Parts: sequence; C-alpha cells; structure tokens
Amino acid sequence: MSELALIIEDDEDLASIFAEALRGIDYEVEHAADGKLAQERLKSGVVPFIILLDMHLPHISGGDLLTTIKQDERFENTIVIITTADARMGDMYRDQADFVMIKPISFVQLRDLTARLKPK
Amino acid sequence: MRFLNRFLTISSNDPDDIRRRRILNILIAVVGGMSLAALLIFLFPFFSGKNYVEILIAGSAVTLVGMLIIYLINIFGSGRIAATIFLIFLTIVFSFSDTPQEVSGGRSLFGFAIPIIMASILLVPWSSFVFSTISSIIISVIALSIHQTPNVPAIIGFFVIALVSWLSARSLETALKDLRSINANLDQEVVARTYALTESLDRERVEAGRNQAILNSIADGVIVFNKKWNATMANPAIKSMLDIPLELIIDKNFRELIEHPRLAAQSRGLLQSMIEHDTQPVGFRIGWGEKTLSVSAAQVYDNRTENNKNIGTVIVFRDFTREAEVEKLKSTFVAIVSHELRTPLNAILGYAEMFKEAVYGPMNEKQVNMAVRIMKNTQRLLGLINDLLDQAQMEAGKLTIHIAPLKPAELLESLHGLLDKTASDKRLRLTSEIDDDLPEILNGDSARLHQILVNLVTNAIKFTDQGEVRVKLVRSDDAKWGIEVEDTGQGIPEVDLPYIFDTFRQVEGATTRVHGGFGLGLSIVKQLVNLMSGDVKVESKINSGTKFTITLPLVIP
Repeated sequence: MSELALIIEDDEDLASIFAEALRGIDYEVEHAADGKLAQERLKSGVVPFIILLDMHLPHISGGDLLTTIKQDERFENTIVIITTADARMGDMYRDQADFVMIKPISFVQLRDLTARLKPK
Repeated sequence: MRFLNRFLTISSNDPDDIRRRRILNILIAVVGGMSLAALLIFLFPFFSGKNYVEILIAGSAVTLVGMLIIYLINIFGSGRIAATIFLIFLTIVFSFSDTPQEVSGGRSLFGFAIPIIMASILLVPWSSFVFSTISSIIISVIALSIHQTPNVPAIIGFFVIALVSWLSARSLETALKDLRSINANLDQEVVARTYALTESLDRERVEAGRNQAILNSIADGVIVFNKKWNATMANPAIKSMLDIPLELIIDKNFRELIEHPRLAAQSRGLLQSMIEHDTQPVGFRIGWGEKTLSVSAAQVYDNRTENNKNIGTVIVFRDFTREAEVEKLKSTFVAIVSHELRTPLNAILGYAEMFKEAVYGPMNEKQVNMAVRIMKNTQRLLGLINDLLDQAQMEAGKLTIHIAPLKPAELLESLHGLLDKTASDKRLRLTSEIDDDLPEILNGDSARLHQILVNLVTNAIKFTDQGEVRVKLVRSDDAKWGIEVEDTGQGIPEVDLPYIFDTFRQVEGATTRVHGGFGLGLSIVKQLVNLMSGDVKVESKINSGTKFTITLPLVIP
C-alpha cells in the first residue's frame, strides 16, 4: 500500500507539480486548495504520512493548521514539510515542522527528499 | 520736641560739621537757658525795689545776647567760628567769674576745664591743647597781676585734660569715619545687588518668554514633567495632537494621563514601564485613538547644581500616523511581491524540471536543452528578485542576521553544488580550500554567508574568461576569520574601485553593458558583511585579476 501525502497549497500549478513529484515515487496524493478544506479533510479521520503545508492560505492560515496538527495525537507520526516563499515565516515555524522548504522549490529536490523519507 | 528738633537742625553736607554744630546748639541752649534764668532771678530784686547787683544783671543779659549771636552764626554762618567764639566767650566768663585768687589758684580753676574738653568736641581734637594754652596764660597773667607764682600743677592739669580730650575725640572721630565708610560700602553693595537682581529678573523674564515662544513654535507635542512626574508645562501642539485641552494636561500626574481611554492598552504598559524603570527611550510608538505617535523621553538635569541634579523629564510626541501607514504598506508590499512573484516562477521552474526529468515520457536532447534554458533563466530572474527584495529589506532595516553554529566546509560544498556547472560551462576552474587552523564549527548566518559566496563567485565567473576562480576560507588572526575570492579575470579599473559597492552600479555604462544584472550583488555583499560586523576589501589589476577579502569576527560556539 502506498503512503498518503496531503498537499495543502492554494496555487494550482505548484500543487500539480508537487503532486507529480510525489506520485512519481509512488505516494498516494490528495490536494486541499485552502485552509478550510484542509482542516475538514484532517478532521475526517484521514492520517497522511506526509503533509506539504503552505503558510499563505485562504480562510485558515498554515500556522493555525500547523497548531491543529501538532495538537492532534493522530498525527504524531505524520511528517510535516512547510513550503513557503517567506523565509521569515519559515524561520518562525522551523521548530514545529519536520522540514522547511523555501519556495522556489525544485521538483527534483522535493522528489528526492520525499523519496528518502519513504519507509523502506 | 519737634520744635526743639527744628531749633537744633543744621543743613550741611559734612556729617561731622552737622554733629559738631548740633552739639554747639545744645550747649548754646543750655548756657542761654541758664543765663535767662539768672537774668530773671537777678532782675527780681530790681523790680521789687530791693538791693540789686548791676554787674550780675548786665553779665546775664550780655551772655544771653552773646548766645543768640553765636546761635545765629552757627545756623547761618560757620560752625567753627561760632564754636571758637563760644569757647573763648566761656573762657573769658570763667576768667572773671570769681576773685583773682580763686581763679588762679582756688575753686574756680575747674571752670577752665569745660572749654578745654568742649574744644576737642566742637572744633578739631587738637584744639583742646589751644584752649589749655589760653587758659594757662590767663591764670598765669592773673597770678602775676596779684603777685603770686603761676599755678604750675593747674597748668599741668589743663594739659592732661587736653591730652585725654584729644585722645577720646580723636578715637571717636576715627570710629565715626570707619562707620561712615562701612556704611558707604554697604550702600554701594546694596545698589550693586539691586541692579544685579533687577537685571537677572529681566533676563529670566526674557528667557522664559523666549523658551515659551520656542516651545510654542515646535510642531512636535512637548510635555515637561517635574521630578514627581507632574506636568508643569506643555505646548499648544500637544493639544491638537492628543486632542484634549491643555487644562487636562497641566498639573496632572503622568499616571493619571496614561489612564486616558484613547491610549491603546498595549501602549499604556510601555509608558508605565518607562517611568517605573526610569528609562529614556527614543522613538517608541504608542497608539492614541486613530493616531500613531512616536514618543521620546529625556531627563532634564540642572547643570548649575552639584552632580547635575535630575529635575524632571521632557517627553516629546511626534505624529507618526502617516509614516507608520507607509511603513506598513511597504512591508506588506515587500511580502506580497515576494510571494506573488516567486509563486509563478516556482511553477515555471517546476514544469521545466518536469520536462527535463521526462516525467511525461522521453524527450529528445534539444527539448531537454530548452528545458534547462528555461530553468536557468528562471533561476536568474529569481536571483534578481531576491536581490531586489534583499535590498528593499535592508533599506527598511528589516534584514536580520541569524547566528547559529555552522560548518565552513558545508558552505564550500553547497557553493560547488550550485556553481561548479556554471564555471565549467565557461571552461573555468572553481577551486576552494580551508585553512587548517580554521575551526570546524563556528558561529555565523549560514544562509547569508552562502549568499555572499554565491554573489562573489558568480561575479568572478561572470568577469573571467579564462583561468580560475579560487575560494579560500582563512583564519585571519585570533579573533577573525575570512573569505577570499580571487579570479584571473579582466580586473577593475582603479578609478572605478571606490564605487563598486554602490547600489545599481556596474563598471560598464548602462547602454554599453556586456554583462547583465542589476549591479546589486556587491552592494548586498557589503551590506551583509557590515550587518555581520565584518569588513570587505578589494584589490584588482587590469587583465590580471581581482581579489575580494572579507574579514569577519570569529566566534566559536
């Protein structure tokens, strides 16, 4: 069974590139285009293996989502990768996330990183 | 009493003269009174038809008239002449007041002592000797006329009296003179002091007026607080700035003022801690209603007192509403630009990478090549945007340095990863080395150091056509380490060296440029190095090469 990756990203193009990178290494990919949708999805009982979390999101910010994720025991083993264009924002949440990637994020870089994280 | 006073009053400029003539007047009054009384007594038998003594009546009458004349001379003429006449008159009266025997050697001798003593008081002190001489001559003549030997003990007695009178009169005059000179000095002092006081009061009034005028003309709001934090002074600008009448400020305590409902809650804490900790902050912001005010506080010291006593605090308020808005806009703008520009570029980059990685099926060499070119140009564009944003952040003073332990070797590793291909594409060698004595781990901002290295090396590659670019991390001395980037390129003309760190500057003119870029690279390097408390230097030789040397403080974690 392949691992689930939840991509929380409001930019359609980036979401599709990230998805393509992850699919290429056999992740099952789900996409949430805004904070509210993402929160609903997380509440529905799904536990992703990896979450790619953008910080600038409509409705509910990435920071708030991160807090929700960290407070929920179900996501204890979920790997959170923050993806943001704002380096300062990245610094701010560095301690709470497993990885911080500053945009522009390379397709190859993301693919290689997530490939490494996959359980053997 | 008043009459008596008028009777005795003399008008003269010499206080000694006045004193003497006043005493003379008193004596004249006494002698005149006595002779008037004597005249009445002696006239009584004359009117009652009894025996009378003519000589006594005539003597009293003459004395009375004499006193009147002397008084007139004393009042209207000269005091000295009047006194001399008076004393001579007394001496003559005593000479004939008794029998010659008694005058020259008996009970009437004492009478001569009176003019001798008075002379020292009424004339000059030494005149008592004149009158003792006159008296001595008179008693000697009288003694000889009745065939007796002159009375030598009486003569000696007269001179002893004269000596005592002279001494006492003289010390009295000296004492009076001293007293008068002290008085005069005192008067002068009083005049000078009064003048100085008037002058300083005037000056203070002018100064206060000027201070108030200056205060009134200042566009910033100013409140002056005393040591107990009560407002003692405020200018009209503060009234419109805080939009409350001056009466609600003056005499109010600072603690009372910060209870005003228009003051933002978080600002109240700032102001409170300012007075509790007695700090003098400069330019912190507070919210007042819709406004943003910048507040600066300065303690006032009285430099006239010893160890400059603190006498209060001046607080200056400046309306910062517009500036705060502009700052916020600028900051928002930078954040939006940063996000909005990078996101589509990220998409272009991602798609190009997907082409290159042949995600959707095999690509031929030309197609891959094109994808690589798209990626390269996108990276370049991203680099330029990053430079512009960095520059904007540095101008806004918002770019900060994050110090953390780092491995210098890793800096070089990531540099090679990024630029090896760029160098080899131009057939250049990119080499690097690390000094043996440079610690393996040191404190620094790895992202910014990476940026510095990338900027310098990219520049070196750009301006070098053959040879190599050498990067060296060195231990400069005990407290410093450094980065050296040296190339074998075209070099920088000497005249341009001073300007190479300027913003938007390239050695070539804007229209004749061979090399692209904003000319921000070196300027950003310099600003970053400065933020790290370091220093950057450049040496260059035309057609031989350029060497950049960066020196940074060495902190080992």
